[in-house]
Amino acid sequence: MGHSGPQRVEHYSGCGEEKMMEKIQSRFGEIEYDPDNTLQFPEGLIGFEDLRNFIVMPNEKEGPLFWIQSVDDPQVAFILTDPTDFYYDYRVVPDEREREKLGIDETEDCLIVSVVSVSSERKITLNLAAPILFAPETNRALQVILEGTNFSSQTPLPIL
Amino acid sequence: MLVLTRKTGEGIIIGDDIKITVVELKGGGVRIGIDAPREMKIHRQEVFDRIKQENKEAIRWDIADLNELSTILDAGRRK
Repeated sequence: MGHSGPQRVEHYSGCGEEKMMEKIQSRFGEIEYDPDNTLQFPEGLIGFEDLRNFIVMPNEKEGPLFWIQSVDDPQVAFILTDPTDFYYDYRVVPDEREREKLGIDETEDCLIVSVVSVSSERKITLNLAAPILFAPETNRALQVILEGTNFSSQTPLPIL
Repeated sequence: MLVLTRKTGEGIIIGDDIKITVVELKGGGVRIGIDAPREMKIHRQEVFDRIKQENKEAIRWDIADLNELSTILDAGRRK
């Protein structure tokens, strides 16, 4: 067929309202998503600067983990979690410049999420040195590198 | 690569709005001052490279890992 890029399909939601959904083929199979509801990384993630749009995927199992799938690269998906579930004293406050990039002012919420890694030795770690700032108001996210922090990019995930 | 020799207190101008100053030489290290626009990201090379590497490794997982991890966390919570 020679299709390239996301394919537009018509989708009728329960309330009879027509909505344009798109489909991508990820390494986890086909994913249907609402292009108006993607998570935007205006600067990408570090090392993945070109990938700006992600689909937030709920975890099928209950718990604090969820994942995001790149719209543009089927190979790229990250497991994320709220680090404060595990490290209660972990705080990251966005500065003025970061708020600007997220499109929010000081009154609007900024949540912190961390990338979860599963190493080949089955070691599970959180990257607390480079958290992701997430603004629910604008659906924008930014990965930042903390300067002069004692938090490691390979902080073990404490099993509660 | 352009290589320039600078003494303590001397600087380099890059483009219209970046200024780099050699602040101090001490014990084999160089303290560098950087004036740049606020939106410009500045990181120590090795820190940036490490985070990049971490992200590259973080995309290597599959649904089985996620399920297993969720089960472990869930079991921990129920204790």
